[in-house]
Amino acid sequence: MPPTSSRVELRRLSKRFGTVQACAGVDLHLGAGEVVALLGENGAGKSTLMKLLYGVYPPDSGDILIDGRPVIVDSPRRARALGIGMVFQQFSLIPALSVRENLMLAYPGAPWWQGSSAGAWSRVLQRLETLAPEVHPNSKVAELAVGQRQQIELIKVLNLDASIVILDEPTSVLTPQEAERLWGMVRQLADSGHTLVFITHKMEDVMACTDRVAVMRNGQVVEECRVADTTEQALVTRMMGGSLSEDGLRIDSPRPRAHRVWMKNISATRQGEHIRGIDLKLMPGEILGIAGVSGNGQHLFADAMAGLVPLTEGELIIDGEVVVGPKMRPAIAGRLGYIPEQPAVNAVAGDLDLTINAALGRFKALALFPDWDAERKRTEELINAFNVRPPDPALAVGQLSGGNLQKLVVGRELATPRELIIACYPTMGLDAGAAQAIYQALFKQVSAGACMLWISEDLDDLLQYAHRIAVLHAGEIVGVIEAKQADRYSLGTWMTGGVSSSQSIAETAALDP
Amino acid sequence: MKGLAAIVQHSSSRGALSALLFTLACLGFFWLNGHQPVALFREMVLGAFGDGYALSETLVKATPILFCALAVALPARLGLISVGGDGQLYFGALTGTAVILALGDLSAPVMLPLMLLGAAAGGALWGALAGALRARIEVNETISTLLLNYIAVLLVDYAVHGPWKDQSNLGWPATSPFPAGAILPTFFDTRVHLGLLLAVIAAVLLYIFASRSRWGLGLTLLRSNQRVGRGAGINYPLNVLLVMGIGGALAGLAGIAEASVIQGRLQGGLSAGYGISGFLVAWLAGQKFLLIIPLAVLMGGLQASADSLQLFAQMPSSSAVILQGILFAIVLAVGGRWRERMVP
Ligand SMILES: Nc1ncnc2c1ncn2[C@@H]1O[C@H](COP(=O)(O)OP(=O)(O)OP(=O)(O)O)[C@@H](O)[C@H]1O
Ligand SMILES: [Mg+2]
Repeated sequence: MPPTSSRVELRRLSKRFGTVQACAGVDLHLGAGEVVALLGENGAGKSTLMKLLYGVYPPDSGDILIDGRPVIVDSPRRARALGIGMVFQQFSLIPALSVRENLMLAYPGAPWWQGSSAGAWSRVLQRLETLAPEVHPNSKVAELAVGQRQQIELIKVLNLDASIVILDEPTSVLTPQEAERLWGMVRQLADSGHTLVFITHKMEDVMACTDRVAVMRNGQVVEECRVADTTEQALVTRMMGGSLSEDGLRIDSPRPRAHRVWMKNISATRQGEHIRGIDLKLMPGEILGIAGVSGNGQHLFADAMAGLVPLTEGELIIDGEVVVGPKMRPAIAGRLGYIPEQPAVNAVAGDLDLTINAALGRFKALALFPDWDAERKRTEELINAFNVRPPDPALAVGQLSGGNLQKLVVGRELATPRELIIACYPTMGLDAGAAQAIYQALFKQVSAGACMLWISEDLDDLLQYAHRIAVLHAGEIVGVIEAKQADRYSLGTWMTGGVSSSQSIAETAALDP
Repeated sequence: MKGLAAIVQHSSSRGALSALLFTLACLGFFWLNGHQPVALFREMVLGAFGDGYALSETLVKATPILFCALAVALPARLGLISVGGDGQLYFGALTGTAVILALGDLSAPVMLPLMLLGAAAGGALWGALAGALRARIEVNETISTLLLNYIAVLLVDYAVHGPWKDQSNLGWPATSPFPAGAILPTFFDTRVHLGLLLAVIAAVLLYIFASRSRWGLGLTLLRSNQRVGRGAGINYPLNVLLVMGIGGALAGLAGIAEASVIQGRLQGGLSAGYGISGFLVAWLAGQKFLLIIPLAVLMGGLQASADSLQLFAQMPSSSAVILQGILFAIVLAVGGRWRERMVP
């Protein structure tokens, strides 16, 4: 199976964290000009394996060969010198700096005095112009949406002239268009002789741009095959060891009763980003999708509704009671389930253990001296319900794999009945089985009467599951439409703020109750 | 080198390494001064813990150090670095004295609680001032507490040179001696006073609340990830005020205790660098409240032994300050990584 000319050869690589054997003797070959998709469930060891190659951790045993020669990769710096670059699942940009500064910092040929050489700046920014023309080099990374940050990360790595590029779940937050552009780039790099590893949970990534598939399970590569020799369906079965059931994935229509949640004329500002006059009403059991190209205020809106950003105007009213408003302490804790973007930084305290992090969802309800034994039991239940692995309530949350962390956060936020649920990319980075479980948990709350605000760029998900879809553009709702009457094409044009179409949305909005 | 780095990372072995280096530095310091290092080191230890009297003086010094260390360690729970122990100590002594001067001659059971409350309130105000600046307009608390130290010291100076000066003192800037009702009880015929008991109780209570209670969890959470803490409904500004205020109150108690028992009145030079010693102790203890108690006693011993250095080796009493400075430098060097853990 291994191609005759191996660029990279991993031989019996092993890595153990405490009691968890993250990699157990992995063999893997990567050929020149080849794109290898690395698949596997959450916690299978994909990220860890690639971090071994990139020198983030030393392997416990095993060898790494590059072009047939054994090498010791004891640091990422060493890895870069060997031509290896990696885009991590969690971002490593500096939010307080601008895009151009972030790129320059990571650029090995950066001159010591940056003002002096326009040449270096233009070299650094060259790829930005071709790959992400809509990102302004002077904007602060903190203001960028995840999708855009993803692109900057990739450009950073490409600027290193790496010939071996590792992408850890690069498409989990990209819009279909952004993903398509990335696939094109990946193919282009491979055709020019680069070797790429593409970690993903999405079958369309695999079919679109990879040559070979390696499936990991429990720290081992259990399957390898050429993409040309297989089908999407066969791959899913291989990964899951069975097919998925659609149980619990149907949602009832909302109860046509009085409104339960009223986001009344909301305006807020954060670091130059604005939302203006957002006015939405939700019925009990209703799912309202918020569609929009990332960077149009979705996350500011979500944070504002969670009481994390002061409102300049407007209020959030639940069951007739004002819970968030200007000049008041938000009274939303306990009533809101909030799954923010990038939960690793926005939803958990990484150095504290699972028990404490799981208790946060009901912090206000804890006793003055909490009963930690009881909390640990609850956490164990949550771990079992959402299949978080490793199932150790005393583990620091920062040590969970990306998908397992997501499961923990969703589990925590949905552990008690909520009145409002705000979910940003709730299934980001999850394998198909885990994603299913999370949809089920979300929809269970919704059918029990919770209102849900679902922020996503994945129109397919919104069209399939939401009752109505609101389109956010430049911080304003340009229209709301019944999901049944919406289609990808028109939503797509509204998201980009086309003039003629925004008129038609206004008409639709006027019809809306 | 790698092995050393690994040892240094572990906090308890960092303590041991610091202690070892400090002993060596002491020996070197004595030797440089032309003394028999080992013999003098022995004298120093005996001067701190050798007999009942030495031990009592050590405890007397340890008391304000313990209070000030708690005033540093509590804000550190929130990732705040306060160096304001001295300022809070002075301001607490000032307000405590104001209570005494206002009430005059009352019996101890009435006077002492009011005096202690007055001092605690003053210290709390001084701490909370820096806290408010931090919470409202993001003024760095390390700098504001440092500057507030100078102001508090000067305010006490002003009071004892001006309005509160006792004219019968013949030019000596101090208030008149406190009435008998305003002197804290002492134990076993020594100068060890009620303040020590209060400080130890405070340390134990803080330990229980910080490590077991929901409030302590909230502090840990805010320090680890402020955004997430706020999302869980924890009030960050309020907690900044609380930790700075409670810490300040404790340092304020140290101030009035020093004035009442040690000086018998309010005068300048109230603190022999207790704020900084407390800061050092808090960091040495890794901000752990229970560990602070024995370390404060050790630090008190270091200060108390300055007398024996003076007696046996004719070394100036400022030697203790020099040794403390050396200890500080060693701890900072060995524990260079602690800062990372302190800062949110
Ligand atoms: N730094 C660490 N300390 C302790 N355990 C770790 C650490 N990093 C990973 N692990 C554990 O190793 C296992 C494999 O994790 P890894 O991140 O490689 O999974 P993954 O395949 O990338 O999963 P996902 O799809 O969820 O990102 C998990 O059980 C995880 O908890
Ligand atoms: Mg991963």
